[in-house]
Amino acid sequence: MKLIVKNIKKNFDKKEVLKNLNFTFEQGKIYGLLGRNGAGKTTFFNCLNEDLKIDDGEFYIEDKENKQRKLKAENIGYVLSTPNVPEFLTGREFLKFFIDINKDKIKNKKSIDEYFEFMKIEKEDRDKLLRDYSHGMKNKMQMLVNIIADPNILLLDEPLTSFDVVVAEEMKQMLKNIKKDHIIIFSTHIMELALDLCDEIVILNNGLLEEIDKNNLNNSEIKNKIIKALKEETNV
Amino acid sequence: MFNSFIISFKLRNTYRVNSIIYSIKQLPLIKKILQNSLYKNKGLKILGNVISILIEIGNIFLGKFIYILAMIVGLLGIAKTSKPDTFVHIFTFLTMIGALLNTYMFNPSKDKYYAMVLMKMDAKKYTLSNYYYIMLKLLIGFLPFTLMFGITSGLSPLICFIMPIFVITLKTLFNTYLLLDYKKTGKARNENLPTKILWSLVGIFLIAGYGMPILGIAINQTIFLIIFLITTIIGIFGFKYIINFNEYKRMYKALLTQSNVYIMQTQRNSQILQDTSLKQIELDNKDTSNKNGFSYFHDIFVKRHKKILTKSAKKTATITLFIFIAFIAIIQLYPEIKTKTNDFTLKYLPYFVFIMYIINRGTVVTQAMFMNCDHSMLTYRFYKTPKVILSLFKERLKTLIKINLFPAIVIAIGLPLILYLTGGTDNPINYAILFTSIIAMSIFFSVHYLVLYYLLQPYNINIEMKSSTYTVAQTITYFVCYAMLQIKMPTYIFGISTIIFSFIYCIISLILVYKYASKTFKLRI
Repeated sequence: MKLIVKNIKKNFDKKEVLKNLNFTFEQGKIYGLLGRNGAGKTTFFNCLNEDLKIDDGEFYIEDKENKQRKLKAENIGYVLSTPNVPEFLTGREFLKFFIDINKDKIKNKKSIDEYFEFMKIEKEDRDKLLRDYSHGMKNKMQMLVNIIADPNILLLDEPLTSFDVVVAEEMKQMLKNIKKDHIIIFSTHIMELALDLCDEIVILNNGLLEEIDKNNLNNSEIKNKIIKALKEETNV
Repeated sequence: MFNSFIISFKLRNTYRVNSIIYSIKQLPLIKKILQNSLYKNKGLKILGNVISILIEIGNIFLGKFIYILAMIVGLLGIAKTSKPDTFVHIFTFLTMIGALLNTYMFNPSKDKYYAMVLMKMDAKKYTLSNYYYIMLKLLIGFLPFTLMFGITSGLSPLICFIMPIFVITLKTLFNTYLLLDYKKTGKARNENLPTKILWSLVGIFLIAGYGMPILGIAINQTIFLIIFLITTIIGIFGFKYIINFNEYKRMYKALLTQSNVYIMQTQRNSQILQDTSLKQIELDNKDTSNKNGFSYFHDIFVKRHKKILTKSAKKTATITLFIFIAFIAIIQLYPEIKTKTNDFTLKYLPYFVFIMYIINRGTVVTQAMFMNCDHSMLTYRFYKTPKVILSLFKERLKTLIKINLFPAIVIAIGLPLILYLTGGTDNPINYAILFTSIIAMSIFFSVHYLVLYYLLQPYNINIEMKSSTYTVAQTITYFVCYAMLQIKMPTYIFGISTIIFSFIYCIISLILVYKYASKTFKLRI
């Protein structure tokens, strides 16, 4: 399965934020999306998630038989940097509700407690109001809900920044475990994280997407290459 | 020092002009035409400046005019004391309250933050020059109206003339006290967060200001003159202290913290709004639900928000019931008001549009729906599918109508009952019309608020208002309902029109929701 992005354009007023995006994202890989502040990473995600209407271009899924189809709501999971969960529900109720309404789509359905175990959410926290969860725990819940629905594509916008080191490591491992069935696009400012976790590095700068070829380079050489690419493109 | 003042004045004016342009930009339609580069546009800057000057002039004069007219002249009639004495009495106490609540110096305002924190202006020069300006504004603003209203109320011109000076003297005294207090305790008081003692003083002054004249006690012009002389003499020392005070910089560092300052207000407001909304959630372990899917979700929402939903509506219903019972008792005790009341129920049904508007919980409920639920849920793709939006809309509409019907039913039964008890009507259909039109109004408002919310949801993910159309629509609703207070029309005609209007409005707006909500019900970006 592939996610194909073709000639995507998006302007705000007269500012061209996404000039002409072309890229093919493949299943089984984690893509690290790097870009400077205001480069348009979130705009790109919002376009893919259809929160924003694109001005031009298209994006679609191409399955194993090379058949093309439009993205449906259930194909995409979008985890935001600030966790958003319905604060009036308990963790358990949120999961029950979510499983209820997605019961036809969830493959290999597990029990609620198994999901909690999977995300390492402690027993005593499961029946607390989400309002009273810590930032990191809310983030875990948001991630969990997006994973349960098992969308083909996972968009993660700076998702690990609010976790402590232990949980961040757990989450990284979890993403590595689930990547073979998904296309994961991971936006971040932290280069080390991108290099450590991601299979491919993609740069969004000056309204364009560009893949950084990592072949035969060590980490510090890749870093230099990324910085150079970011600087050069800004000066165009 | 004059330079400091000019710089700070220009600074204040610049952001005021920019906020005016920003407000213009927020208006529906206009925002599509105008672009961001607008802040550079000369013509618009001039327009902004003109508005800014008008605001400043309004600020100087209009406020004082309304203040003296509404708070003093308009209330002279309630007192037993003579007009001039009452005038001077109320003025003295209100000025004392003003000095306590409105110090200027201890108001952590946005302009101070910009100037002293961000632009690092000299705190003493900035404070003093602006303090003089504010005092001058007070003097110039008050003088025409103390003279005009004072003399026409029979005060001596001398007293009218010194009244504005009394205002600035008292402010100076209280500012001196606060500076001394800062020096002693190291704590800079925020005037926007008055202490309990301060509130009590305000309460006492308010009661003394209006209560004493009602009882026939008031200070006269001679006493005012004596008070004025004493405060002015102390005030001169106070003024000297203010001029020589050398710790403005440190004091403002303590006062102009981010949480105090106006600059953070938008952010803070949404934070406060969200915090308050979150506090409304009540976790009671018995509140579970046997339902499934969206009914389950909505059911728990309603149960966890009992306080602002059902409980509050029941409370309004109970109060309304008591009012009706009391009124019925009054009718029985004073039969002479029966004819008037009967006339009222048959001619003043439009009044009830406003009453139904006031008791409707639509705004509060939709706000809680957004803050505690949709704000987060709308970030999930599945929640935004048309099927989900509409099924939840249905559940919510049912709940909202049900909640608002609690008090509505009391009124809908109460009104025909009063009509009956005050002599009835020649046309019995009026009973049915009263009942049905009140119910129709209640349903209308429930539909109206929920539909507005679904079609115009104005917030973005950071709870910033991104569209003013919603506010405009709400304001129009208010004015239309308010205008109904002016209408007098036979219940028969108004009632039937209301029922038909509500019915058609509900049908049309539900069609609009079904057609457009999947596109409009989202977080603004």
